[in-house]
Amino acid sequence: MKGRWSSIVDGKGFDIALVALPLTFLLALSGVPLIYNVLMSLQQVDLFSLGTFWRPYVGFKNYSELFAQQETWPILANTAIFVAASIVGQFLIGFGLALMFSTNFPGASWLRGLFLVSWVMPGLVVGAIWSWILSGDFGVLNYLLRESGLINGNIFWRSDPNYSLLGVIIANIWLGISFNMILLSVGLSAIPADLYEAAELDGANAWQRFWTITLPMMRSSIGAVIALGIILTLQQFDLFAAITSGGPNDSSNVAQYWAWELSFRQYDFAKGATISVIMIVFVMVAAFVYVRSTRHEIRG
Amino acid sequence: MRHTLRERLMLAAALVLTTVYLFPLYWMYITTLKSGSAIFASPPAFWPTDPQWQIYGHVWHSRNMGRYILNSLVIASGAVAIVSVLGVGCAYVLARYRNIWVDAGLFLVLMLQVLPASLMITPIFVGFSQVGLLHYPRLAVIIAIAAKGMPFFIVLVRATFMNVPRELEEAALVDGDSRSGAFFRIALPLARKGILVSGMLIFMQAFGEFVYSRSMIQRVELQPASVGLYSFMAPNANEWNSIMAYAAIYMTPLLAVFVLLQRGIVSGLTSGALK
Repeated sequence: MKGRWSSIVDGKGFDIALVALPLTFLLALSGVPLIYNVLMSLQQVDLFSLGTFWRPYVGFKNYSELFAQQETWPILANTAIFVAASIVGQFLIGFGLALMFSTNFPGASWLRGLFLVSWVMPGLVVGAIWSWILSGDFGVLNYLLRESGLINGNIFWRSDPNYSLLGVIIANIWLGISFNMILLSVGLSAIPADLYEAAELDGANAWQRFWTITLPMMRSSIGAVIALGIILTLQQFDLFAAITSGGPNDSSNVAQYWAWELSFRQYDFAKGATISVIMIVFVMVAAFVYVRSTRHEIRG
Repeated sequence: MRHTLRERLMLAAALVLTTVYLFPLYWMYITTLKSGSAIFASPPAFWPTDPQWQIYGHVWHSRNMGRYILNSLVIASGAVAIVSVLGVGCAYVLARYRNIWVDAGLFLVLMLQVLPASLMITPIFVGFSQVGLLHYPRLAVIIAIAAKGMPFFIVLVRATFMNVPRELEEAALVDGDSRSGAFFRIALPLARKGILVSGMLIFMQAFGEFVYSRSMIQRVELQPASVGLYSFMAPNANEWNSIMAYAAIYMTPLLAVFVLLQRGIVSGLTSGALK
């Protein structure tokens, strides 16, 4: 007994204890629910069987029922559109800003820091602000678009099924620009300056330098940023809750919001778990790419 | 001379883009100062002609914001306490060794980091209800948030410990200190700045958390400010000046902390997220 205790104070036991405790906590609260989620998707779960451990197994009935529902495919399509459009917008704007701030004009680092404020804002606050900006009759976005002649009538961003998803995408792009920009800035600053100087001496113009030096050197950072962007976009929930609640008529609904709705609005926990399982598989694939693309740095 | 002109142009462009980016924030604050009829004016005023400062006090009292903010503080502090007590040691060990087990542990941590809260809430809710944890809803939310935030914290703090020279601890061991003594007396104090910044990031995330609180806390007196804002928005979405005032009161302290710690937060994020 004394030996074990002294090992914990002064030896390998100390290190093992330091790791084992948090990993047990993490496994109990993330790993176990993950497996439990798969289990629940194969069971019949309703409000009555919620509190019991033993529930009837129904095999893949939840899955087949889910894909027989008429809203399933449109919602999955919305999810794909939401992710793709958000990533394209966030990445292009974020990369442009990162390139601009990397030229080191006076005040660059200070201004770049300001972009990170969205990072600390509660998601629901961001959703509330954008709800008001996107508001149909009195929203400032409609006013600005009208004044600049881009639109004639007001767009009802939150209640027009043609625009509701776009409204959330705009808010999500705004939210995601900062992390794209800051991570890409890190990648840019790691490129040695003498590469550019050498290319300039050889007569390469700015565009050629971008294509032949910046893009190839940034390949692993770009991969990591896009994978991380997909993961974070699939986690976005608050904006949907605040701006459209997935409506009208599921036109702006996405899988991660629908899973919650199924469980906590319709109390169909089995369906909620089923859609969660499907989406978590996608997240895991993106995460695998992300972890792979940063692996050499992890070990460093 | 050509150089300075170019620099000035870049600065001007950056200023314009920053202004455009920060406009939503400005719009929130400016809306709070408008009267109930002024918010629906067309064209909208971009500068308050008749600022209504009393709205902050009014919203604070009428929405009972003190209780909501207190609940947010309780939840965020609890989550940070769990995450730091459990996470610091784990980050330290993962930074000090390099073998297959550490790689496996890191991989596990990174994979658990990506699980979306809105997809994990269903199994967590059912599991918590079965073990009776939902009778203590704030504790349940604290534990769920801690599990969600811990991987991120471990990754960030590990990057901090990587920068603490191992030789210092070895010297302490040679001088007769124990393994745990070297950790508590040498490594921990040297990494405290990184730990503090990472803890603040977890705190800010937990302070704004919504989906777990919305799903697990039914009693209004226990709900945090995010759920309070949600219930304020849902039924009467025409009091936009009051809603924006609520949002402003909720997030301005976070903004202030961010400005104070900006340097540390930016470097902490960049070193952790890509490493």
